[in-house]
Amino acid sequence: MNNLMQTVALIEMSLTCAALITLLLQKTFPQEFSLSTKVLLVFFIGNLFYWPFGFGMELPPAAYLRAVIGDLSIVTMLLLWASLLPGGKPAPLTFKFAIVFIAIGFYPFALGFSMVDPYAWGYGSIVFFIAVLFFALVCGLANWNKGVWIIAIAILAWAAQWHESANLWDYLLDPLLVIWALIALIGAFYRKRRDKARSGYLFRPG
Amino acid sequence: MSRVIALCFLFLAAVIGFLHIDSRPVWAPFATNTPAPAEVELESPVNLKSKNQNTPNKVGIANPISTWLPETGAASVHAASLIALKDGAIRAFWFAGSREGAADVVINSAVFDPKSSSWSAPTVVMDRVSAEKGLSRYIAKLGNPVPARMSDGRLQLFFVTVSIGGWAGSSISSVISDDEGLTWKNPQRLISSPLVNLSTLVKSPSVLFADGRLGLPAYHEWIGRFGEFLRIDAGQVIDKRRMSSGRSAIQPLVFVNDAQDATAYFRQTRGASQSKQVPVSQTQNAGQSWKLTTDLAIANPNSALTGLELNNGTRILVLNNIETGRYRLVLMMSNSKSGAWHTVEVLEDDEALPDDQRKEFSYPYLMSVDGNDAHLVYTWDRKKIRHRYFSGAWLKYAQNQLPILPTDPLYQEAK
Repeated sequence: MNNLMQTVALIEMSLTCAALITLLLQKTFPQEFSLSTKVLLVFFIGNLFYWPFGFGMELPPAAYLRAVIGDLSIVTMLLLWASLLPGGKPAPLTFKFAIVFIAIGFYPFALGFSMVDPYAWGYGSIVFFIAVLFFALVCGLANWNKGVWIIAIAILAWAAQWHESANLWDYLLDPLLVIWALIALIGAFYRKRRDKARSGYLFRPG
Repeated sequence: MSRVIALCFLFLAAVIGFLHIDSRPVWAPFATNTPAPAEVELESPVNLKSKNQNTPNKVGIANPISTWLPETGAASVHAASLIALKDGAIRAFWFAGSREGAADVVINSAVFDPKSSSWSAPTVVMDRVSAEKGLSRYIAKLGNPVPARMSDGRLQLFFVTVSIGGWAGSSISSVISDDEGLTWKNPQRLISSPLVNLSTLVKSPSVLFADGRLGLPAYHEWIGRFGEFLRIDAGQVIDKRRMSSGRSAIQPLVFVNDAQDATAYFRQTRGASQSKQVPVSQTQNAGQSWKLTTDLAIANPNSALTGLELNNGTRILVLNNIETGRYRLVLMMSNSKSGAWHTVEVLEDDEALPDDQRKEFSYPYLMSVDGNDAHLVYTWDRKKIRHRYFSGAWLKYAQNQLPILPTDPLYQEAK
């Protein structure tokens, strides 16, 4: 069971790296990749990350990345993988804001700021679980169905003990998700300011 | 329509999630052994401050035995620990390498035969490459092996791995042995922190819950320096509770008082202007919540301590009872009536030497085979691991020597 879990974790990391590189490649190309091209790219790049190169490297590249960033949450992985699908709706700004807001409250306490440890809630607190379901429900009511699916899959993965962790937080949130949300928020803020400045220039009263 | 399908799927996940929460084991009380009443010995007290040799003293009680764990040729050794085997032997674990934190550090093990008072040849339990292959991630260094006996009789060895950075970047992993430590299965990672699982370490022995699961005192030493109590089910953390907070106490050592009550003593890591005594935390609900209480009035120079409760309820501690340095190591015993702690044996003391010649005596670890005796291992100047054995008879005499009257000048030594 442990061996299977480790293999799955390496496959997930390889696919995530491949998806990220494919997305970056897409940014540099003027034309939209077809779905089959993206699948082929993910398959090819994913294999490069999954198998050890040799030449003094004892482990596959994915294992080195895993040592640095740990296992990513199911939410992060699915958001990233889903962004390769055609016609995908980007995550709403409110979701990104909520992620950053939760992280600001969560990490200091989880890392020892006081005797209150919100991370411990993730092992089986009913109240915390209901809060997660409520969050998913709000995503649905806000018409972001992808968010509902992703959180539901994360809950199922937690219940199945898909990863090494038995803590629901580890299936929902990780530092890279917070960094992504923060960068997206800052980007949105600057875009808004730029647009406002442009509109101000164009429509300045004469 | 797609929203309805998504919400139905969420409902399904919610039901499975609730079932998962419902299937989780309830928090069990501590497993306790009822202490045997302490016998009052009327024999004459012995000179416990005698030399460390296995020779009988004036009243015929053998003095503590002193041996060294087998050398592996490594320049640096540290963090030894012990566990009793089913055949009455003792297995020791420690880490050894060219220096602490080097890539060549391995976790060694050797078995002590009490009949011949000798150690077997050392073997390697875990090296960096085996750890990273088993855990499927890069491992830069290993440390702090701590063994435990699982309720099904198997041995479990917890140890620390670091992938990046110093010890603050540690995570705990564990391996299980079905044959008393001769062979070990693949390691498993314990996930105990939300930030890339960084900075959880282990040093002190686990305690047993009544349901057979282990309670492992662990600690963080990165942004915060605090203790945590991990509830372990085989190779997985299934719950945890904070034992202290902030940046002042690590390496908790847990004494179980009864099924619900336990006391934890810590290594203090406070600032220069703060008290250099042993921080204490208390639980009254089997570790579900902890509260810091008054310090134990014993000096602690930011160094690890170890302890043990004997079958008769007497508790012993081994620590550096000085505010700075690690050049003095003592064995202390609590008076079961007054609760005061008294030094019963100075194990090492380089106080008379100049600062630059003083050796380091650190990372003690105590273990009992039959509940009456005590085996101790500790780092000796980072070059060797010293083993000391205190027989049940010797400890009983030491207990009888403790001052019991409040008028005794030693009474207030460390209450």
